[in-house]
Amino acid sequence: MNAHIHKPALLLASLLSLGAVHAIAATAPASAASAAEVQRGHYLALAGDCEACHTAPGGKPFAGELPVATPIGSIVSTNITPSRSDGIGGYTLQQFSDAVRKGVRSDGKNLYPAMPYTAYAQLDDADVRALYAYFMHGVQSVDRRPPPTRLPFPFNIRASMAFWNLLFLDHKPFAPDPKQSAEWNRGAYLVRGLTHCGTCHTPRNFFMAEQSSRFLSGASLGTWFAANITPDPNSGIGNWGDQDIVQYLQRGSAPGKGQAAGPMAEAVDHSLRHLTGADLDAIALYLKSIPARRDPNITRAADSWGGSYADLASIRGKPLPKKPDQMTGLQLYDAYCATCHQDRGQGSFDGGLPPLFHNTATGRRNTDNLVMVMLDGIAWRTDGSGVRMPAFAQELSDRQVATLGDYLTQHFGDPAATVTVDQVRMLRAGGPSSNLVLLARIGLAVAIVILITIIVAIVWALLRRRRALPSH
Amino acid sequence: MTGGAMDEPEPDPINPARRHVLAGLLTAYTASLIPWAVAAPVTSRAHGTFVALSAILVGHRSLDAGLAARLYDALTAVYPHFNADAQTLLAQINQQHIDPAQLQKTLDAAHSPLAPVPRRFIRAWCLGLVGEGEAARCIAYENALDAVMVADVLKPPTYAYGPYGSWSKAPVTKEANDHGSTKLG
Amino acid sequence: MAAPSSAEVVVIGSGICGALAAWRLAQQGLSVLILEAGPRIERARIVAAFRNSPYKSDWMSPYPFSPWAPQPDFTPKDNGYLIQAGPYRYPAEYIRVVGGTTWHWAAQAWRLMPNDVRIKTLYGVGVDWPITYDELDAWYQDAEEILGVAGADNTGSPRKHPFPMQPVAEPWSMRRFRERLAPAYPVVANTVARNSRSYGGRPACVGNNSCQPICPVNAQYLGINAVESAEAAGAKVVPNAVVYRIEPDAKGRIAAVHYYDPDKKSYRVTGKEFILAANGIESPKLLLLSATDKYPNGLANSSGMVGRNLMDHPSSSLTFYADEEVWLGRGPQSPSSINTMRDGAFRSQHAAYRLDFTNISQVLSVTEALIAEGVYGTEFEKQLRWRAARQVNVKNVLEVLPHPENRITLASEKDALGIPKPEAHYLIDDYTRRGADVSKKDFAKIAQLMGGTGLRYSPEGQFANNQHITGTLGMGSDPAKFVTDGFGRTHDHENLFCCGTGVMPTAATMNSTLTAVALALRTADHMHPAKSSAAAARAESPP
Repeated sequence: MNAHIHKPALLLASLLSLGAVHAIAATAPASAASAAEVQRGHYLALAGDCEACHTAPGGKPFAGELPVATPIGSIVSTNITPSRSDGIGGYTLQQFSDAVRKGVRSDGKNLYPAMPYTAYAQLDDADVRALYAYFMHGVQSVDRRPPPTRLPFPFNIRASMAFWNLLFLDHKPFAPDPKQSAEWNRGAYLVRGLTHCGTCHTPRNFFMAEQSSRFLSGASLGTWFAANITPDPNSGIGNWGDQDIVQYLQRGSAPGKGQAAGPMAEAVDHSLRHLTGADLDAIALYLKSIPARRDPNITRAADSWGGSYADLASIRGKPLPKKPDQMTGLQLYDAYCATCHQDRGQGSFDGGLPPLFHNTATGRRNTDNLVMVMLDGIAWRTDGSGVRMPAFAQELSDRQVATLGDYLTQHFGDPAATVTVDQVRMLRAGGPSSNLVLLARIGLAVAIVILITIIVAIVWALLRRRRALPSH
Repeated sequence: MTGGAMDEPEPDPINPARRHVLAGLLTAYTASLIPWAVAAPVTSRAHGTFVALSAILVGHRSLDAGLAARLYDALTAVYPHFNADAQTLLAQINQQHIDPAQLQKTLDAAHSPLAPVPRRFIRAWCLGLVGEGEAARCIAYENALDAVMVADVLKPPTYAYGPYGSWSKAPVTKEANDHGSTKLG
Repeated sequence: MAAPSSAEVVVIGSGICGALAAWRLAQQGLSVLILEAGPRIERARIVAAFRNSPYKSDWMSPYPFSPWAPQPDFTPKDNGYLIQAGPYRYPAEYIRVVGGTTWHWAAQAWRLMPNDVRIKTLYGVGVDWPITYDELDAWYQDAEEILGVAGADNTGSPRKHPFPMQPVAEPWSMRRFRERLAPAYPVVANTVARNSRSYGGRPACVGNNSCQPICPVNAQYLGINAVESAEAAGAKVVPNAVVYRIEPDAKGRIAAVHYYDPDKKSYRVTGKEFILAANGIESPKLLLLSATDKYPNGLANSSGMVGRNLMDHPSSSLTFYADEEVWLGRGPQSPSSINTMRDGAFRSQHAAYRLDFTNISQVLSVTEALIAEGVYGTEFEKQLRWRAARQVNVKNVLEVLPHPENRITLASEKDALGIPKPEAHYLIDDYTRRGADVSKKDFAKIAQLMGGTGLRYSPEGQFANNQHITGTLGMGSDPAKFVTDGFGRTHDHENLFCCGTGVMPTAATMNSTLTAVALALRTADHMHPAKSSAAAARAESPP
């Protein structure tokens, strides 16, 4: 009868019990962190790629203010420098731990899981302490407050995250598997935790939570597509050797396999290339061990397609059409691609400018990444290499990207993969528009109506009972 | 294959069934110059003559059939007597056992009307160019033989050599690779 | 949408100088209109056009020819636009398109040397500039940072701040020159507007070896980048607008300019200030074309010097086979040079010069030579590889002195729009020829140090041209002898300024682009001093 009153109490009880799990023993001395711990924290912050979200382009490190686009709106990253006025300078170790592992701010408000605390929940206490030491003592304080995140109703109610966490947050820290080697456990700890690969590579359910049963089996990020990196030899990276994986994570490129682009290029540039060889080996080992997930439509590995193809001779001496949209795929290839990828798609002598065949860029059935790399190019910001592939968004029309994309998949990749003008237009606009906000509002409206109906029904039933009782 | 406008199809004593092997157009001497091409199938006497002369003049170890077709079409379009000239020249080389290295000198010394002909072949195969002056046309660039013959070391201009700085290393040629040695530095 | 008919600043010509001056002024909120005679073009299409061209040694071949905005071309034959009056041929080349001629250049971006602007005082030849090297220093730095210049420290032009980028990676061939010519000749990395790392959102060089006629990846700064900057800052560009007359008012200020579209429809554009930046031939041509009753010799020409003192950089060269395989063609086209002969007491007797090493692939020229020689059979490939691996070339870049008889005038022949073609009167004097003779000794010594065989000197008395068109709008303090003042303002018309290599009153030995860009920025800053201009701030700060 009074079920609706009990619910919040239940909720509160669970929240309180959650809090108990991550209480860090306050036995560690509060003395200044050692330089070694700060350095270890620095390494962990690189592995966790905190900078990717917490440093805006052209902004000071960790000062926040980067808007992260999500289907429900823009989430602005916070200042996590040790500024007392505008950053986390006033955080205790416990508060830092709660933010990183539970998604709860020092004022008790919930963080949105754009902050991948669901992954960082795996961190052990020692690593959290080292991270805390780094952010308190190894990072320059910046007194600048980013604008607050304002999401559309009902997502601006942060408390709703508590419910979401209840459903989807696995709050247990990483527990090593005694049946596995130390190296495997290290890889598991990193992949599930700090390097938070699942944040992009695991598909999400309707509530935008990762589907753990489909761990790392690939997901769209709206524009770029994070590939299936399970060890399936057709749909995933089962045919990659450990060295291929390590080289990819270290240099952003595995010869004869593929190159990192878009958000993965950022991840390699900012974070993964800084990991030790041992950590990268561990990640590779772990990745090769997770359950393989196969897409039945894919019959061979994305990097197994194509070969050298020469046909520029057929257009030599022929003038280009006046209308750019009438250029054939071969003419577009000549004008825009052949310069670096060479006349037969074979790349430069040492493969530094990569071949287009045996390349996941052209061999994937899903051509979103092919279109995106043509539009955006590849640029690394921190290692000095800068523009690795130019962006062609300004130079090529939607029609030209589609014509050229089809040419590339036909001759160097999976011939069944196509690129359409509508697809290019949609990707150029930033991805499909999401109706999540609308659905949430409808859902909420429906829930409220149901709730009101229930309340009215109960009150009506109570009033009826009162009337039915004989008066004394 | 299209012949030039002025060409008459010649009666063919070699193979009346129209499917030829180049060997039939060569003597022992010219066959010795291009052993790799001897068994090449050709579709007509004119085509065979073109392929034989190309092989003799260019001396490269293989000739791309697709490029041969396109060069043949362009040459016969630009030079009305191309096929006839080629036949005469091949016959002359066959009969007089002219060394390709001496061919131009021989033709020039004799004030032969065929003197311009070998250059048309070489320009076509090695520069990808057919025709002269304002009538010149580019038929090939990347697979013109001047690019192919140095492709182990150089990319044709406008093609990237490699990532920044890759040109600072000493060049490594296919000869060096064959001999297992490397250049200085 | 109709083109604008008025702006605060009207710029004639959208090359690197006009576009950067326009950019500078647009940044300050002025309305700027750039009128360009030629069309817009696209880099990728130029790349494809070059690959399809039958004239690969003609660097003009991939660029479109517009009958309403003709430009000189000499392959396969002289197209008859730049009339040659002699006695020496002046086959200058330039491109009339949006972005101008620096769509293709070797990107050499040298500063002058301090003495270059005082050769009259120091050596008794030529003229002195109305400004000192020091006065230009801040704008040189500005120009280097805008273009993205990569340079080495040891190039002989003094500087106060580092280059924006490290020198471009040295090709193997140039390293061998540097190692084998030392210590007799110090071979240094060229100062170039070419990226040795990502800069300005453009990639680093990837060694396409086609800087001329086109850098396919925009690793070198192109005039079109200047136009893009100007447009982003609010300047408007009207292509296919052939200015044929500059209209003065009764007081001698410029009131308007008139241009034709390709159909010869005429438009009038008014402005408050005007910048003439149509290159060292088209700019004086336009001034001469604008003659009126009051200005019978053309505008800005009370000195009679418009179009006169035409200078360029002639080159003679030595080609030879080095005794080792260096394989020119790997990396950028112009990576290294010797700069120790640019200055000295000898300049009172003979021209100064630089020595430039080319890294242009020799495959084309070797193949043409083999064909000319009649080399056939298996010998062809052997010779091609042997020669292409070893053939090298060193050339001089000679200073010429200003002579009034060397000049651009209006020809009697007219182009498709009925506009008189330009006519070039040019000769190369003994001062320069003596410099060429002296440099031959350097050529011989360099060949010797490289174990050279098969030495082939360029024909005696014949020089190649480098398209550094200078002198025709020369700057100087005396209005009786010079067209513009030290800020590029024409002496005769208060609101008419000139930007481009034409304002340089002497040629020195350095490729002229960076100097012209620095002068153009300085002109723009003089027209409207920017409160936050880096260059102006530097100019004011103590050295």
